[in-house]
Amino acid sequence: MKIVVCVKQVPEVTNVQVNPVTGTLIREGVQSILNPFCEYALDHAVRIKKAHNDVQIIAITMGPPQAKSVLLRSMELGADEGVLVTDRKFAGADTWATALTLAEAIRFAVPDFNLVFVGKQAIDGDTAQVGPEIAEILGLPQITYGIQAEINDSRRQIRVKQEVERGYEVIEATLPALVTFSKGEVVRRAPSFADVLRARQKPVRMVSANDLSIPEEKLGLQGSFTQVVKVFPPPAKKSSLLVDNVDAVEAARTIYQFLKERRFVS
Amino acid sequence: MHEVFTKTLPAVDIHQVKCVQGFEKIKAEYPVYLSDESKISAKPFEYLFFPKSEEELAAIVREMGRLKIKITIASARTGLAGGCVPMEGALVSLENLDKVEAIHYEPSSAEWRVVAQNSVSLKALEGMLRTKHFPHLEQSADERVRCEYLQFKNDPDGYFYPPDPTEMSAALGGSVVTNASGARTYRYGPTRAWVRGIRVMLANGEILDIPRGKYFASPAGQFVIWDSQGQAFSIPVPDYQQPKTKSAAGLFAAPQMDLIDLFIGSEGILGIVTRVEVALLKREEKVSVIQFLESDEQAIALTEALRSEKRLQLDFLEFYSGNALDLLRELQKHEPSTVGMPFIPQDAHAAIFFEMSFDSKSENLDYHILEETIARCGARLEDSWAGYESRELDRFKVFRHMIPETINGIIAERKKQVPGLHKLGTDMAVPDQYLPEIWRLYKEHCEALNLEWYAFGHIGNNHLHVNILPRDMQDLASGLELYQSFARRVVELGGSVSAEHGIGKLKGKFLRLMFPPEALQQMRAVKNALDPDGLLNPGDILPVEVAQ
Ligand SMILES: Cc1cc2nc3c(=O)[nH]c(=O)nc-3n(C[C@H](O)[C@H](O)[C@H](O)COP(=O)(O)OP(=O)(O)OC[C@H]3O[C@@H](n4cnc5c(N)ncnc54)[C@H](O)[C@@H]3O)c2cc1C
Repeated sequence: MKIVVCVKQVPEVTNVQVNPVTGTLIREGVQSILNPFCEYALDHAVRIKKAHNDVQIIAITMGPPQAKSVLLRSMELGADEGVLVTDRKFAGADTWATALTLAEAIRFAVPDFNLVFVGKQAIDGDTAQVGPEIAEILGLPQITYGIQAEINDSRRQIRVKQEVERGYEVIEATLPALVTFSKGEVVRRAPSFADVLRARQKPVRMVSANDLSIPEEKLGLQGSFTQVVKVFPPPAKKSSLLVDNVDAVEAARTIYQFLKERRFVS
Repeated sequence: MHEVFTKTLPAVDIHQVKCVQGFEKIKAEYPVYLSDESKISAKPFEYLFFPKSEEELAAIVREMGRLKIKITIASARTGLAGGCVPMEGALVSLENLDKVEAIHYEPSSAEWRVVAQNSVSLKALEGMLRTKHFPHLEQSADERVRCEYLQFKNDPDGYFYPPDPTEMSAALGGSVVTNASGARTYRYGPTRAWVRGIRVMLANGEILDIPRGKYFASPAGQFVIWDSQGQAFSIPVPDYQQPKTKSAAGLFAAPQMDLIDLFIGSEGILGIVTRVEVALLKREEKVSVIQFLESDEQAIALTEALRSEKRLQLDFLEFYSGNALDLLRELQKHEPSTVGMPFIPQDAHAAIFFEMSFDSKSENLDYHILEETIARCGARLEDSWAGYESRELDRFKVFRHMIPETINGIIAERKKQVPGLHKLGTDMAVPDQYLPEIWRLYKEHCEALNLEWYAFGHIGNNHLHVNILPRDMQDLASGLELYQSFARRVVELGGSVSAEHGIGKLKGKFLRLMFPPEALQQMRAVKNALDPDGLLNPGDILPVEVAQ
């Protein structure tokens, strides 16, 4: 049984600071990491592998050559092999062109896959589109926002616990299928140093534009439909209260009232 | 050269300096200044000053000197020995001296250096270095400063400040005055090794600039300091020996020593540090490993093996005892996410943490020497956790600090029932060859008395923090007695009773175990020469009553 896990290299945004003068991101010292949601997807693949024998996990990424490091990271965490989909022609791809390329690359490199696992979104773009688009292109049933997954004994179906607004639902799909994963209750793995060393011995296959049967105009920037009209920070949510310019007694009263309304104090 | 000259600063009116007067007001409005991380309480004191410049500080020192009011100095108040907790007089908080002044390349030693005012925190410095973004330098009025900063930004390599005394909110100057050390002291030495210059204000309110490598004690063992009035003070250099371990106990002394070393680690009893210059090191990629082991004894054996394998260069070598892991396991049982790590393996009964250079992009990583060393001690590299991404290194660091934090939480709860209780945390180091012996002593005695205890810390430097958690006053009394007996043995083995936290107001009795009365008298003589009225940090290192 083969599980393909799509992984993406992203900047570690939790440490990013903004230059207060220019308003731009300070990129110095910002490392690239495996997108956390991809890590959760991989985590669920590894759990399935632990529960069933002869499961093989293939991590696949599209990106520049240095994106290989997320494949290494994935193999430290339990993937058996990696596929690096890289070519200058892929540069500038939006979610659609990315999904198209990845879907083709999966067909090419792992034609006999049973499951595709992806993170619900990448923390740099936050679109949550690539997973569902791959499912559409590959004609697979899809379950989004998974937080738990198990395969039944016949290995024909997957049962996924899906996060919804007020709790969760349990959904089943027939294999082959695609699942996108959210955080759920995953406690992040830590590979052993032996795993870290061993990952370097695992195979990584390269896939380029020539390997895929996609016309060139559908790749990269050319094949992208998205047009960025404007980039702006989302309006701040008004969940906080700022008590300003009043005396201490008044401030205390306002804060007390605020807490009381929310039942933090009685 | 053993003669130095002090300078005066332009006069500032003392009334311009921000000051809170009256103990009741300080208590009500500024309660955080009544203690530090040792949690001892201040005795009534009259003034709380917040100088914004060296000139303002000089005005305070002169005015208090004139009125014979004693001064206690506070930086970030993270000290664990009560050093900055005043028992009388005035408290001067240096928190507003918090600007980085320059970053420049020093060709003679081929290193980048940072010049900063006392209260730049270690955390802020690390953040600025990581992003290479120093707001004060960017906006500096001095073109040379801006130019050098630009040069630093354009250097393709990253840099860091090696000392890492755990508590990153400590002030850079505070860490120099206490000669703080941390896990990385194993490879990089204590703070002292990275200080290239300091500026100190003496008890007369005058300023002394001391670059490293310029002023050395005369062969007869003295320094002479001339003040701006042409008056000379002669400072006799003590002739006692330092322990052969890392140490933050008492004043540093060595034959023909550098003057700068007298002030580093002096805990503020000789002068007030206002500015420091420290060296940086090129940042390399690192991997952090937590190696799980069968027993505490296996951890000791592995430490010795790793240390003696010269082909391995580890940045630090830290320890969690078996009972410490059990405590964390208990936390994980109730709430798996509290520890932030996967479940601690059931058969792990001790752990060693280490960090070393690593190239994550490399395809043939060769760590066979490490693997073999670990295997020879009967352990397996499979039973470890490893991480190298910065968020992983941070996660591992949090895990490393989880035990002390958990312990502090437990004791705080117990204190609510029995207010007199407090934890007993040792901070002692012995020379390498005595690690197994001192470990046996700690373990056997704590167990024999049926005390609740945990051990963790800098095993690479034979510097374990044994933490005893008394359950009642009886436990506390026997723990205190045990601590004294540990200290006596550490001293017999040539170790230090305070390897990193300093003496402050809490550990004088241990200092007296370590140094004979003549040596303490020599420390006193240095203090008297520099601060004849005993104005600065009364009660720190040396007891007040003898000082007068
Ligand atoms: C959780 C925790 C972990 C810690 N871990 C370590 C550790 O691993 N290693 C270690 O060495 N320490 C450790 N410490 C202790 C403390 O953080 C260090 O001693 C630190 O260097 C103190 O810096 P500070 O700025 O807080 O100084 P303060 O606490 O403000 O002062 C410390 C002493 O220095 C004097 N002083 C401070 N600044 C000046 C100055 N500019 N001029 C003259 N005198 C001055 C004060 O009067 C006082 O005596 C730890 C503390 C905590 C709370």
